[in-house]
Parts: sequence; structure tokens; C-alpha cells
Amino acid sequence: MTGRSSSPGPQPIDHSGAARPGPMPAVIQVEGISKAYSVPVLSNVSLEVLAGEVHVLMGANGAGKSTLAAIIGGLNTADSGRILRHDRPLRARSRREAQSQGIVMVLQELNLIPTLSVAENLFLDCLPHSLGFVDRKTLHSRARRALARVGLDQLEVATPLGRLGIGQRQLVEIARALERKCELLILDEPTAALSVREVEILFANIRRLQALSVGILYITHRLDELPRIASRVSVLCDGRCVAEYAGGEVAHERLIRDMAGGVVERPSPSTARLAGPMLLSVEGISGGSRREALSLGVRAGEIVGLAGLVGAGRTELLRSIFGADRRQSGTVSVAGGPPIRPGSPRAAVAAGIGMLPEDRRHDGLLLSQSVRVNATLATLSRHSRHGWLDRRSERAAAEGICTRLDVRCAGIEQPVRRLSGGNQQKVVLGRWLDAGCRVLLCDEPTRGVDAAAKATIHARLRAFVADGGAVLLASGELSELRAVCDRVLVMAEGIFVAEFGGEWSDEEVTAAAFTRAFSAEGAGSDRLWEEGKQ
Amino acid sequence: MINKTRLSEWGGLVLVWLAIVALFGLLAEHFLSAATFTTLAGRLPALAVIAAGMTLVVVSGGIDLSVGSVMALCGAVLGLAVTQWKWPLLAAVPLAILTGAAAGLTNGLLTAGLRIPSFLVTLGLLEVCRGLSYAVSGSRTLFIGAGIEPLARPLPFLGVPATVPAALLVVVTAQILLSKTVFGRHLVAIGTNENAVRLAGIDTRRAKVTVFLLSGALAGVAAVFAVARLGSADPNAGTGLELAAIAAVVIGGTSLAGGTGSVIGSLLGVLVIATLEAGLAQLGASEPLKRMVTGGVIIAAVAADGLRRRLSADRD
Amino acid sequence: MRRSASGWLWIVGALVLVGGCTKPPQEQPTADGKPAPPPKPAKPRVALVMKSLANEFFGTMAEGAKAHQAAAAGRYDLVVNGMRNETDVSEQVTLIEQMVARKVAAIVIAPADSKAVIPALKRAADAGVLVVNIDNRLDPAVLRETGLEAVFVGPDNREGARKAGEAVARQLSAGDGVALIEGIPTAFNSQQRSLGLEDAAMAAGLVIVDRQSGQWEMEKANAIAAAVLTEHPALKAILCANDSMALGAVAAVSAAGKSGQVLVSGFDNVPAVQPLLADGRLLVTVDQHGDRLAVEGIETALAILNQEKSPADRTTPVDLVEGQAAR
Ligand SMILES: Nc1ncnc2c1ncn2[C@@H]1O[C@H](COP(=O)(O)OP(=O)(O)OP(=O)(O)O)[C@@H](O)[C@H]1O
Ligand SMILES: [Mg+2]
Repeated sequence: MTGRSSSPGPQPIDHSGAARPGPMPAVIQVEGISKAYSVPVLSNVSLEVLAGEVHVLMGANGAGKSTLAAIIGGLNTADSGRILRHDRPLRARSRREAQSQGIVMVLQELNLIPTLSVAENLFLDCLPHSLGFVDRKTLHSRARRALARVGLDQLEVATPLGRLGIGQRQLVEIARALERKCELLILDEPTAALSVREVEILFANIRRLQALSVGILYITHRLDELPRIASRVSVLCDGRCVAEYAGGEVAHERLIRDMAGGVVERPSPSTARLAGPMLLSVEGISGGSRREALSLGVRAGEIVGLAGLVGAGRTELLRSIFGADRRQSGTVSVAGGPPIRPGSPRAAVAAGIGMLPEDRRHDGLLLSQSVRVNATLATLSRHSRHGWLDRRSERAAAEGICTRLDVRCAGIEQPVRRLSGGNQQKVVLGRWLDAGCRVLLCDEPTRGVDAAAKATIHARLRAFVADGGAVLLASGELSELRAVCDRVLVMAEGIFVAEFGGEWSDEEVTAAAFTRAFSAEGAGSDRLWEEGKQ
Repeated sequence: MINKTRLSEWGGLVLVWLAIVALFGLLAEHFLSAATFTTLAGRLPALAVIAAGMTLVVVSGGIDLSVGSVMALCGAVLGLAVTQWKWPLLAAVPLAILTGAAAGLTNGLLTAGLRIPSFLVTLGLLEVCRGLSYAVSGSRTLFIGAGIEPLARPLPFLGVPATVPAALLVVVTAQILLSKTVFGRHLVAIGTNENAVRLAGIDTRRAKVTVFLLSGALAGVAAVFAVARLGSADPNAGTGLELAAIAAVVIGGTSLAGGTGSVIGSLLGVLVIATLEAGLAQLGASEPLKRMVTGGVIIAAVAADGLRRRLSADRD
Repeated sequence: MRRSASGWLWIVGALVLVGGCTKPPQEQPTADGKPAPPPKPAKPRVALVMKSLANEFFGTMAEGAKAHQAAAAGRYDLVVNGMRNETDVSEQVTLIEQMVARKVAAIVIAPADSKAVIPALKRAADAGVLVVNIDNRLDPAVLRETGLEAVFVGPDNREGARKAGEAVARQLSAGDGVALIEGIPTAFNSQQRSLGLEDAAMAAGLVIVDRQSGQWEMEKANAIAAAVLTEHPALKAILCANDSMALGAVAAVSAAGKSGQVLVSGFDNVPAVQPLLADGRLLVTVDQHGDRLAVEGIETALAILNQEKSPADRTTPVDLVEGQAAR
């Protein structure tokens, strides 16, 4: 326990270094870092982060970004090279040690404890206490302040973290980092799970920290974020630093080429969009925290997008269509068939529905098992005869998925745990693209996936519907919805508030997502955005 | 999942076993004799089939604490059928195995159906089955004798009783089931992340019920082996057997957290434990010493295995 | 995450287990299955506190007592209690305290431990409860120290074991090697039986080459017997402290192909060993008339309560039961 735990309130930011003129000192210098597992992951990487700058790190999935960040953040060790902090070598053997040196990190994979409350998660390492008892009142008031910072002020701080969606968890994780005193903040794909509004709030926080001379190392795959926050962009390719640009105004083509290490194939743009017969019909479905019943239909050949803010109910909707959660009423059917037994993912799969879950680590992957086992989990019946596994056909299928989606791994027998975040995502997606479903429910299908692979995935989804499939796709990225969807349904507080077909603008969709929130006077005021939030 | 690491794991266990044999060979005069190994061969089958069932359960992320009591119950039923009802062995043996299967099915249905952790369900069944075993036998040891002893008599050419090849067959079948079938894959997957398996559209409940049913039935098979060897059914049989089986399973490289393991490894674990027991008995070791040495070896074996794993994990 | 949640459940499970063990066991209703009627001063209530009722020997004892009470229902009420686990002394102490609370006139007890239950019995005696000790004798030194007066009614285990040992010795000659398979080392009757067997072996000049505890269990005794037979090829006899273990030893002797060459003796004369006695694979066992034991204890208690008799220890008969081969 540090002395902070008993101090009266949080003092998140070191105010001593408030914006000074002139060239900023480096908060961290990385010199010639190398790291290898069975293959080299980082080779002689050098970079620095200056006080008050946002240094963006880009690179394809598996390029080594998270590994580099983990080494700086004390979670991993380099084979060679050194890290200088104020010109002195930094030795941090744990995240905690790094934190005491003023380095705070938000990991790509969320590391919160689902059974504890949001408040406890926020301050787990420095719970306010007296005589060994947790001081709940102080804890909760501090937690409320921390959450307000990331726009989660309507969230009850005593809620068990496990009840939150991925986006909200990500915000909690960010809030937790913002509460720490730091000079270097590392953010590993913080916006992958966030939607427009939350990204705005995060950026506002980043700018505030910048003004306080905090250096920020920011990892992202979203090119459109660069002009808005980047002071400097570095590109990693196969573990090497291949380019560095000042400022965020870099041509996208150029970056993509740097990341891919040469030529890029452009997937052919989607062609004919012909909607066929109704494939997925959802009638009056309700359950969970949703108060109103929802109905929707998706035709063969169609990709329907779901837009909305974090917590708008997109994931809940997809899960109850698939039967992952129990629903109270309503029916789901495929191609006019009989209603699917509710609450049974097995029945949904049998009827031809597949679901790519939002939380790939808990709902999708068998982390300690191999890529092969994960890739073929939903299709074992195809790779077996009379219950006997056909190892060869299984292997061929797994290898096919790896090539088609460009999964970077040391072979299909490598445990999925050892893959980079984006590549893990590709394995789960590959499983479902290969599963022979007719309807695919995708929850953030390209979360954490690099720009090139994202284009590939979009092309695959288009091909899937061109073959007569139907896709219902939830995404927080409007650019993604624009790129693949034929129609977009906007959700807010668990219901549809608008529908857009053809051409639409980001502003229209965002506005729709907010309108409901402001107009729904009375109905469930507990979840309303606070008035002053405008 | 028979691959290089598995083979090296098994090789390591065989080495551990050989080391124990060599040590006792030095310490006890007659340890390295045919008689020791025939005795061992007679003793192994019951524990080996129980450990095989336990391995499957543990790989699927569960645990079966009821095996010892279920074995006693099945033995009591077998004894009753043969001595009181005068059933032929050909009918009494299947009855005993069915009894075990029924107990296992109960375990499975309660675990999967009501989503109660298997630890608690099987803890309950441990008590229930022990009680049933006393009730069925009237708390009396039932002597069967000549009726069942042929099963335990050494086979002409092998020099070991028929229970030994039967147990080996069970172990090999269970290993194949685990590594080569869809059912086995489902067990491994459920033991790793049950939620993800359910969301992949797989019937996790059926797999879980089946695995407990198998474990129960194998406890029934073990009861037949044990009764055959002793010529009588003891309602107190198998007290603490679940712990011996779990120890063997863990020594054999199966993770108690689920998701990985092998039946052959468990067989080797059984071999290690039974050899230790036989060796200490031949040395005439005192009860306190026996217990301390056995506990120490279990911890050492598991620690060594953990160390080996960590070293190999660092390499890739 | 899933792991940590289930981990908690395991801990809870373990706590439930511990809790389950320490929870006082339910009282058994009286012999006729109905709860005991409210106390009537005229009719004394006698509590029979046993070890595990799952153990055949104590089961027999309890049945004998219930039959006796049913036949003489007018004379006294009977409360029979047994423990879940034979070696759990604290459970038996709890039982004693409950019986005192129920204001029984006498406690007839087969102690789980010859020393550890004495303080509880002393408290019972101080509360005016008559204590009669059956089966397993309470430790005289501790009795003296605490000043508890408890009448002992029971067999002389040492004498019984000596008889069995002598029967075996008659078939052997001086210098022959024998092995002892003992019960739970802390149990008084196990110690007494071992002493009796030793007495006989010593007197006949037999050499005890090995002695190990089979924990009263068939399976364990079997494993030990098998090992001992291998290690000592010249072994002539295995002397067991109870019949369960003798059954295990007989199986080991048969498996080693030494039937007839290695003699086995037991103790308790349970039904399961009768065929073995008949075909000669078990040489002898000892009958201590367990079914009568509790009844003798109850009779003694009643006699003292009615002041027909002054308190005095009584030894019940132990008889050698010889099998086919011994005759
Ligand atoms: N423990 C490990 N053992 C073996 N290989 C590993 C291990 N951890 C990471 N790798 C490999 O190192 C490479 C870089 O991984 P890293 O997580 O740094 O990528 P990344 O740039 O963050 O990718 P993404 O954008 O997908 O998150 C990947 O190919 C990954 O498979
Ligand atoms: Mg990463």
C-alpha cells in the first residue's frame, strides 16, 4: 500500500509539469529492443515518447505492438536493448513497479475481475481503508468521480463488473488508468470497442493529459484517428520500426503500404447488391434489461448494420437472437422455418445461425488450445465420421482459415493464447465463416484487426451474402458500417430509433443515437444521459 | 492429443517409476521379484479404471468425489446378487456396472441439469452411496468365494489375472475416446471454456452427463475387479479412494483446472502410487512414515511436472 | 475468470464438508422407530453410545440391545447413537454431551478413544449420570487421575488374541516367522489384541518378522499381506487383528499360491469368514459375543440403578472359534 490509499481524494495527474514552452523532454526512450519467442517478434526497435505528445504506434496484426508496449509497461522482458527514463535505465519487473515509475498501461485484453464491483476494480490496488476495513463511502465517491471522467456517470458503481459489456469495461479500464498518477500513459487499442461518443470523450481526456505534459503511447488500427490526435506516428512491420512521421496527416495508402511491408492487394470492391427472400425473421423479441419487444428481418444477400452508443443494447439483441441468453418472449426463425427453441445456441446453429461474439476471450476462444482446435470447434461434425475425428480434414480446414484470413501464427498447433489480439479475432471469425451457416450475427467482427485484414474480412462478408447468406452486424465504427452494410439500424436504450438505407452521414446516425436518449422522458430515466452532457 | 510433449511426459513418468522401483530394489531384499510385480498387477486394475474415468471427468473441468463410495455400493450389489439371490456372475456383473452407471448418471444430471458444481454434487453422492452400500449389505462383509475368484486367477500364459488385460483395454479405450473422437474433443473444449463451447452450438450438457455416467460405470467395473481379488465385498471398501485416484490423475499430467490430460498418464500415476504402497509395505514401514512418504512423493511429482511445463512454456 | 468463480465454489464446498463433519449427528429414535416419549421417572432412560454403526461389529451390538429393549420395554427406554466416522472422537464427545442434556439415567459407551472421552464422561458423571464402559476399556491411569468411576463390562481382547495366537502356534514350531496385521494403532482394543498375539508368539518361540497397520480394512490388509509374503518367503502365518483384514490376507495368500502353507488368524467371528473357516483357509477367529456385549452393559447399568448390585467390573467371555484346519 502506498501512502495514497489513505489520502483524502484522488490526485490523478502530476500538475507540476504543466505546459511549458520549448522542446519537450522525453518521458521514455526505447533503444534497440529485441525480443524473440520461437521467431523474432521485435528486432532492434527504438522510439521515444516526449512529454505532452501522442505517439501513435501502428502495424499489422502480430507486428509486435502489444509486445513492445508490454515490455515498456513492465509486463514482459526484452531479450536485449534498454529503456531509458529521464536518461536512466528503467528496470521494471512488474506492472506495479512500472506504475511506481510513472508508467501506466491500458492493456489490449481487458484485465478486470468480473465478480468484483466496478468501484472495487477501479481501485483494487489502493482500496481506501481504515483499520483494514474497506471504506466503502470514500471508495464509491471516488469511483463516481473516476467514471464521470469517461462519461459513465450514469453507471452504478456497485454493479458487478461482469454485467458490463465490452465497451463499458474498456471505459472502466481507461478510467482506472486515468486515476493513476503518471508521466507516460500507454493505451493499447483503447478505441477498438468504443463507439463515436466514447471515442470523443477519450480524446478529450487525452488532450487534457497532453496539456499536463503527460506522454502518451497510443496503439490503434483506426487510420481516421491519426489526424485528430497524433503528434507522431511510428509504423512497426514484422517487429521492425519501418517508418516514423511527424504529425498525424499521413496518407493512408502510404501507411498501409508501410504496415504490409510492400505491396498491398486491394480486395475487389463489392459488386451487385441484390436482396433476396427473407432469411432471418425476428418477431417481438424481448428479455434481459430490454423493456420493449423488437422485430426485424434480414434478407438473403443483405448485410444489416446495428449502430448505437456503448450500452445501447446491440450485443444483448444479437445474443438473445442466437439464444446465448434467455429471452422472455418472441420468436426467431430462418427462411420461414419453424421458430427456434429459445435459449439454445445449439438449436440456433442447427437452424443455420452463427454468432461471432463480442467478447472473444470469454465467449469465443479456448485460449489454451491450439488454433486448429479453435478454428474447427463449430464444425467438428464435418471433420469426423461416426464420432471419430478426421485429423487430416480438420488440419486442412484450419490451414484454410489461416490462409484465407491471413492469421499470423507459428503453425496451427500454436495455442491461441500466444497469438496477437487481432489474429485471435480472425480465428473466431474464420470458424464461423467456415461453419456453413446461412445467417451470421457479427458483433464487432473486426475489433482489433488491422486495416488490410479488415478490408479482407469485409470482402469475405460481402461474398458470404452474395452466396445467399444474411448478416446482422453490430459495430461501433461508422466507417465499417458504411463500407459493408446495405442498411443500418440505430439502437438506443434497447430499441430501434432510426433506420438508414443508401446514403447517410455520420452526423445523422450519431444524432439518432442521441435523440432517443434525450426524448425518452420518463421511460427509464435511470439510464438517461445526464442533461449537461450535450 | 498424442504428440511429442505427451510422449515426453509419459517417458518422464516411466523414469520416475523406474527410479522408485530401483530405490525399493536396493532397500527391500525381495522387491525385485516376480511375486512383487504379479501382486502389483493384481492390485492395479481397480484403481486404473477408476483413474481412467476420473481423468475424463477432470479433463472436462469437473471432479468426481463419489467414485470410492460408488465402488463400494457396486461391490455390495454384486455380493448380494451372488450370495443372496444366487444370480450367475454373467448377470450379477452387468448389474454391478449398471448400478455404477446409475450413480454416475445421477451425478451428471444434477451437475449439468441444475448447474451445481460437480464438487458439491459428487460430495453429496459420496455420502449417499456409502449409506446405500451399508444398507444393501446390512453393514456386513459379504463373502463370495469360489464364485468370483476365477476372475482373479492368473491366466495360463500371461501370468496375470484377466482383470489386468481388461483394465488395460479400458484405459486404452478411454485414451482413444479422449484423443480421437468428437466426444473427447468436446470434453477438452468444455474443460477449457464451457461458455465458448456452448456458444459454438455444442450440447455441453450431454457431454457432461455422459462423462459422469462413464465414471460411475467404471467405478462399477472397478468394484468387480476388487471383489474378484478379495473374494468378498466390503461395504467399507474404497474409503479415500477418490483422493488416490485424483492424485494418480494429477501425477499423470492432467490439469485439475481442466482442458488437458491423458488417460495413459493417469495409468502411470496409478503405477507410481501402487508401487510406492507395495514397496513401503515390503519395507515394513510404520504407518506414519508411509503416509508422510506417500504425501511427499505426490507433491514432488506434481511440482516436478509443473516445473517441466513452465520450462517448456518458456521455450515457445 | 470462470476458474476463479468455480474456485470459490470449491472452497465453499470444502467448508460445507468440514461443517458437515462437525455438525452433531441426528439422534436415532428408539428401537420401535418412534421418538422417545417424555421422561417418566419410573422408567430409566439408557443411552447407548457406540462407535460407527456402519461397522458390522457395532451394528450387531446395537441390534442386540434394541432386541433386548423391545423384549423388556417396560423396564427402560433406549437411545442408540453411533458416529459417522469411527475415529472421530470429537463427534462422540458431542454425543455424550447431548445425552447428558437429555437427562438420561445412564450412558453405556463403547469409547472411540480410551483417553480423550474421559473428561466428557467425567462431566456426565458429575451431572449424576451413571457411566458404564463396554467393549474398549477406558485408560485406568487417566480414570484415576480424573476420579471418574466407570464400571467396565467387556471382553478381554488381549486374552482372546492370545488364544488365537496359541492356536496358530500349535501348528508351527519354534523359530518360525509370523507377521502381524494390526488395527488402527491408536485404538485400545487394537493395542490389546497386538499384545495378546505377541504374548502367544513369545511363549511359543515364534519370530515376528513384520508388523504393520491395516487400518481395520480389507483392501489395505490385502496389500500389506501381499507385500509381506513377497518380502518374507519363509513366512508361516499372518495374524490379523480383525476378520476384515483376515479376509484380505486370505486373498493375498491364495493369490501367492500359498494356501495351506501360510496360516491366517482373525478376530470377531463375522459371518463372512464362516466359509473360510469351513474350507480351512482361515485357521481360527475369536468370538467376543458382540451382540451380548451391549446387553450386558445395559443389564449392569440397570442393576446398579436399581441398587440390586454394587458397581464392579465384569469380563464377558471370549471364545476361540476353530476352523476346519485347526481341528
Ligand atoms: N507468449 C508468446 N509466445 C509465442 N509467440 C508470441 C507470444 N506472445 C506474442 N507472440 C507472437 O508475437 C507476435 C507479436 O504479437 P503482438 O501481440 O505484439 O502483436 P500486435 O502487434 O499487438 O498485434 P495486434 O494488432 O493483433 O494486437 C505475434 O506473432 C504473436 O503470435
Ligand atoms: Mg496487440
